[in-house]
Amino acid sequence: MPFIQHTDEDRAAMLKAIGVKSIDDLYGDIPADIRVKPDGDRVKLNPSMGELEVTRHIQSLLKSTKNANDYAFFRGAGIYNHHVSTLADHIALYDGNFITAYTPYQPECSQGTLTTVFEFQSCITALTGFEVSNAGMYDGASALAEAVMMGYRLTADAFRKETRETVVLAGAIHPEYAATVKTYCETSGLKLVTVPAGKDGRVDADKLKAALTREASVVAIQSPNFYGVIEDVESLVKSTHDNEAMLVQVIAEAVSLSVLQTPAEAGVDICVGEGQSIGNHMFMGGPAFGFFASRKDNVRKMPGRIVSETTDRDGKRAYALALATREQHIRREKATSNICTNQALCALRALIQLAAWGKGGFVELGRQVVSKTQYAIKTLTAVNGVELAYPNQPVFNEFVIKTKPGLDKKLIQQGIMGGLPLDAVNMGSAGEYLVAITELTTKEDIDKYAAALA
Amino acid sequence: MSNIPTNPADRLLFELSKPGRRCVTFPKLDVPEVDIADALKGAKLRKEPARLPEIGELDLVRHFKNLADKNYSVDKNFYPLGSCTMKYNPKINVTLLAQAGYTKAHPYLPEQDVQGHLELMWNLENYLREVSGLDEVTLQPAAGAHGELTGVMCIKAYFEAKGEGDQRTEFLIPSAAHGTNPATAAMAGFKAVTLKEAANGNIDIEELKKKVGPQTAGMMITNPSTLGILEPKMREIAEVLHGVGAQLYMDGANMNAISGIVQPGDYGIDVMHFNLHKTFSVPHGGGGPGAGPIAVRKHLAPFLPTPRIKKNGDGSFAYDYDRPDTVGKVRSFFGNFGALVMAYIYMTQLGREGVRRMSENAVLGANYIRVMLRDYYHVHHDRTNAHEVVFTDKKQDKENGVHTLDIAKRLIDYGIHPMTVYFPLPQNTGGQGAMMVEPTETESKESIDYFIDCMKKIAQECKDNPDLVKSAPHTTPVKKVDEKTASTNPQLYCSMCLG
Repeated sequence: MPFIQHTDEDRAAMLKAIGVKSIDDLYGDIPADIRVKPDGDRVKLNPSMGELEVTRHIQSLLKSTKNANDYAFFRGAGIYNHHVSTLADHIALYDGNFITAYTPYQPECSQGTLTTVFEFQSCITALTGFEVSNAGMYDGASALAEAVMMGYRLTADAFRKETRETVVLAGAIHPEYAATVKTYCETSGLKLVTVPAGKDGRVDADKLKAALTREASVVAIQSPNFYGVIEDVESLVKSTHDNEAMLVQVIAEAVSLSVLQTPAEAGVDICVGEGQSIGNHMFMGGPAFGFFASRKDNVRKMPGRIVSETTDRDGKRAYALALATREQHIRREKATSNICTNQALCALRALIQLAAWGKGGFVELGRQVVSKTQYAIKTLTAVNGVELAYPNQPVFNEFVIKTKPGLDKKLIQQGIMGGLPLDAVNMGSAGEYLVAITELTTKEDIDKYAAALA
Repeated sequence: MSNIPTNPADRLLFELSKPGRRCVTFPKLDVPEVDIADALKGAKLRKEPARLPEIGELDLVRHFKNLADKNYSVDKNFYPLGSCTMKYNPKINVTLLAQAGYTKAHPYLPEQDVQGHLELMWNLENYLREVSGLDEVTLQPAAGAHGELTGVMCIKAYFEAKGEGDQRTEFLIPSAAHGTNPATAAMAGFKAVTLKEAANGNIDIEELKKKVGPQTAGMMITNPSTLGILEPKMREIAEVLHGVGAQLYMDGANMNAISGIVQPGDYGIDVMHFNLHKTFSVPHGGGGPGAGPIAVRKHLAPFLPTPRIKKNGDGSFAYDYDRPDTVGKVRSFFGNFGALVMAYIYMTQLGREGVRRMSENAVLGANYIRVMLRDYYHVHHDRTNAHEVVFTDKKQDKENGVHTLDIAKRLIDYGIHPMTVYFPLPQNTGGQGAMMVEPTETESKESIDYFIDCMKKIAQECKDNPDLVKSAPHTTPVKKVDEKTASTNPQLYCSMCLG
């Protein structure tokens, strides 16, 4: 019997100790007429498969798939084909002591997980410049939705006499993130105003100012934005703060923090993002993790687990979950969020990957990505009929090209998975493609893509 | 910041760091190197590199290995953490998942490249439909609490579509419910109304009848309850709710007791979530990632998040975005797909018989523990229980002044992870301190007997040497941790990481 170790004798002994004849007797509270009959066909799962059969089955499912390794690969848009260190797999997947532990409620036998969360928080602090990072969120999209809720709470608390129930989504925000924010706003009764990107691909500063009424409590931007363009975060912060509202920045490509100004220095109030590109596999978009950082004075409004350094009875350094009075298991309906998970294993992978890159490696990674991106822009736009949709804008690893539509099939036949067609995600017109570059993109890939576009 | 420990095994990565060390090297750049400031003209750049640790590969591996060894885990320890279903996580799940077909699957690959992934999701949806007895499933929610939120959103959207959105403002929640239930109702804009249980731990139907009305949107129920008791009157409860037009939500945290035994759809549930990381063996990961799919009855299906997976006439699979009534997205892409793959492998291995056996043996083990320990600890409801059982410290408090937390910490000394403490009964060290034990079906009788023996021994220690119990644990890398200071004076990052 798969994964059950009791022998018939074991079962008999346990039943005898309990004082019942059969396991069925333990289900007396379920009326007999709705119980599934043991030999009936109500639950139509397949018959049990052993290790050999299930392996064969999974391999047969994989036969009808292709992945990034099968192509010269140029798709990103929130999930990036970076190299993932084997160290992340060895430590996080194959050492059972991280992967088969629970949330570290009992610190004395969970110092392993707790220490790694503290180190993870420290790394997010190093990347963003903020004093407070939580232990992780589901993903970038839901982290943005939670950050918007937190921004609203902060503004509403500061201006209790006013009604400030409008959320402004400004510029080219990932459509999956924007849709998630919309869902959360609708369910919690907040009004959502969208300020589309201007012709240059950036937040339209004038339209944002017009949208910044006194009702607006929070402005959310993405930088680098969905089109890859790096926003002028400082000036967006200024307009937002002039209206005494909160500025939330979401980052879809966390590796951009290797070279770009920290959100803290730009004056951002809450910075969130998708952490997949650091040490996490693509897995069709999940699981990875969201990161969530802010200033120290906002910590009690934050959602999610947080770990603090403390000491044990003997004064030895130790780590423990902290500030639980924000959380659902203590505060119930008054909690900052209902979230429990922190995608701990994915956050651990990010910690391992950041440590494996190290300070110098992370900078080199960023520089390689920028150089390859610049080469790709130059090479692709050198092709007759291919141009940048948003020329002369600073980009980190992604950019939008305009070319003639309908090339996708031809590219795929040549082993090229070109940029994401923006019309397919309602973020542009036919013939516009969002091209993503990572350190895994080779010059050969780029030249091949250019040749195919010609 | 405290002094740096001398033993490298106790140092942070940042404290092991030395300029110039690193693990990963990159291939020589195959394109012309650009000047960053020049290439990113118009953008503001970092003033200094992020202060990440600089460490060599052996020290990195040793650091994490030392930390891993400081954890208790299912692979190493009996882990009877009630409500969390800490069962064995088969190794094959991880091995099959770590293939390029999964690790290198991008969410924006065209449909023809992901047929095997869509088929897997389609099959898993069908499995969960069968186990729930409900009509449609979405796999997107990332966790149980996220599933709750998605389910409650669907209920809200359903009433709005019916023109009852303004009227239905309340959600009923039993007082012993998981904290996520009231938090979820509040997040979705509902008022959480607490429902007191009857003295026997079941739902008090008369109390329920008093509290429902035209203002009720629904009720969130956990069955078996967080007290580890199967609710005998599920159909009556559903009838009361449906009688006023309200919906019945089921928190599926405890599906390890009833999967394959009864289909919740058969007793009137309208929507429920699964915790695939509990019931279907996705590893807990130290706090995620899990997955919290929801199953709904037909009338709620139009509101599920997009995309849905559909099967075409020719047997191929596709995304279905054409759902005009959807609540929208609750996260990016298709859910924690990697976790779904592991749950699917597990369910495929169990098959129809295995799912039933799973529940049966989980319930057997928990009842065995109850009867074997009933003379040593007060059982909150000493009657047939489901997959978990709640003890309290009533006896030890009265006789020896020893409390639940002390007993839990003493278990650590015996190599056992503590049970869930101070839940689901209100936190109270005056003899009400709950100890919720869930052995799961994957533990051998010998492991369960060892736990029972340890609990008996601790009961004796409470009498003979209460201070030994109260000062536990004694064998761990750190002694009792000062959790209060962690919250009153939080130190949330290593000072070496910020300038």
